[in-house]
Amino acid sequence: MTERPYWIAVGIVGWGAIVLYKSAELPQFDQHAHIGPGFMSTAVGVGLVVLGLMLALQIRRGVSFEEQGAEDISDTHSVSYKALGLTALACALPMLTMPKLGFVITCTGCFVLIAAAFKSNRWALNAVLGFGFSLLCWWLFSKLGVQLGGLLPVWGK
Amino acid sequence: MDPISGLMNGFAIALQPQNLMWAFFGTFMGTAIGVLPGIGPALTIALLLPVTVYIEPTAAFIMFAGIFYGAMYGGSTTSILLNTPGESGSMMTALEGNKMAQQGRGAAALCTAAIGSFVAGTIGTLGITFLAPPIAELAFIFRPQDYFALMLLAFLSVSVVMGSSKVRGFIALFIGLSLGVIGIDKQTGMQRLTFGVPDLMDGVEMTVVLVSLFAIGETLYVASRYGQTKPMLNPLSGGMWMTKEDWKRSWKPWLRGTLLGFPIGALPAGGAEIPTFLSYTLERKLTKHPEEFGHGAIEGVAGPEAANNAAAAGVLVPLLTLGLPTSATAAILLAAFQNYGLQPGPLLFINSGDLVWALIASLYVGNVMLLILNLPLAGLWVRLLFIPRPYLYAGILIFSLVGIWGVSNSWVDLAMMFSVGLLGYVMRVYDFPIAPVLIGLILGPMAELQLRRALAMGQGDPLILVSTPMSAVLVGIAFLIVLVPAALHWRRTRKISV
Repeated sequence: MTERPYWIAVGIVGWGAIVLYKSAELPQFDQHAHIGPGFMSTAVGVGLVVLGLMLALQIRRGVSFEEQGAEDISDTHSVSYKALGLTALACALPMLTMPKLGFVITCTGCFVLIAAAFKSNRWALNAVLGFGFSLLCWWLFSKLGVQLGGLLPVWGK
Repeated sequence: MDPISGLMNGFAIALQPQNLMWAFFGTFMGTAIGVLPGIGPALTIALLLPVTVYIEPTAAFIMFAGIFYGAMYGGSTTSILLNTPGESGSMMTALEGNKMAQQGRGAAALCTAAIGSFVAGTIGTLGITFLAPPIAELAFIFRPQDYFALMLLAFLSVSVVMGSSKVRGFIALFIGLSLGVIGIDKQTGMQRLTFGVPDLMDGVEMTVVLVSLFAIGETLYVASRYGQTKPMLNPLSGGMWMTKEDWKRSWKPWLRGTLLGFPIGALPAGGAEIPTFLSYTLERKLTKHPEEFGHGAIEGVAGPEAANNAAAAGVLVPLLTLGLPTSATAAILLAAFQNYGLQPGPLLFINSGDLVWALIASLYVGNVMLLILNLPLAGLWVRLLFIPRPYLYAGILIFSLVGIWGVSNSWVDLAMMFSVGLLGYVMRVYDFPIAPVLIGLILGPMAELQLRRALAMGQGDPLILVSTPMSAVLVGIAFLIVLVPAALHWRRTRKISV
């Protein structure tokens, strides 16, 4: 990859700055253990800022970023932003629907979106399969004691 | 309890019917996930953590051990028959094993891999049986500064060794450390980086981070770069068993691979990649048939496979005796112990002796089960690879949601799943190693606790951190791990510029 992703360095420095800012509100030293609750987080914040700057320097020098290998990916590593968007939407969907619509409907939506991201456009079949699989998981894991909530919380079920 | 009577006691527990069933379930699932892409032992165990809270700890760890060992076997099957290593330790196996399969010797390759894995797994488990108790005894003399030095060594070695760049390794580590400091400080009761969110007061849930980094990150990455290729399955032919000549050429590589894999697996960041690579190189040097290497040499399968499984056994030594995880899977196993209120280390052998010995005994049992499951059924396992990818990855997301939503029904966990998943995607695209994040998240709070204890003992004098021979040596090694490669690199670049 030949691009220069300065935004990663900015993100790391930014997160380090937030950690530092929040750590500054805490005592750095105390009498008993000699280091206070803010000491470790301050050290981590400083580390992140320094490492972010070092990464920026490396990017400036033109360091290359090779994508990691994985199974099932194309040899050219060509990116489909539509598939990425659909997958991201599937991962974001639970934030929007899980508390109100419950596990089964949310997971059905996720199933259909992920299947579409992987180029399966049989929406109706995928919805039926997704619903069946989600319902089975909900029932089975609820029996095992995992608290997955009601079947349809918005209707009080 | 001496190792022999401990082990006998362990067998009495591990051979109970319900525990045998858990061992079978674990080995079965381990083999399946070793074959399947997108899911590995660390993720599987993390996904099962919320469920296993309702199972007795001994049964849960017997199952986890089966998953851990089983994944190694499953990985070799796909390497040989499809040239797709299910996990990183099987990469070297694919080099020669797939060539053997193309020549119609797939059955012999699978056989040497399975028997080699069995031999290495059994010798490795013997190593755990007799080495773990004395190391655990040694840990009794460990003081807080020694533990802190040990964790410092784990941090630095994991960051330096894993991945292609030290800076990126350290960034991954510090991201993990920063997630680890979130929550209420246990010594003072003060909130750290909780941003006023009540759900963050107990800290970041380990399962959420792990599942998001592995499952969500991987799904985003694979979906965006998905290439629809049908697996090219090499037919199994040439008989089930190895010839007399194959046996003769395999037994020494099995033993050499085991000798390389076990100690390297026990080292922080040792992993399975280095011993399998070393084993392959060694076998290539020692072979009487150098012309066959690159074209399907059985030694090139036997050695690396044994090294891979022996490394898996080696990982359990520092985990059980010192509570030190040296790989992502070991980090999850540590979290699983903590889930049950258990702390791996010397006291585990005393307080939960039955559990530890049953776990060790189940490794022997699991190895036998895996041999039976893998030798005759190899052709069936690879059929798992024909599961349509849209349904495989959709299923992985649903299982992830069971793990994440089932932990505490928290919206914050879902938001974290999304953001950490995106982080996992970026880390894959820009080649940041993932294991240091987990090591930082799990070991960070433990290192802070030991640092505070040591400084309290030393009245605030930082020299207390190198005051014992053990701590001084470990800190010295930790800094050498960082400084020596940097100095060598500097010398090399200086020579080039001169």
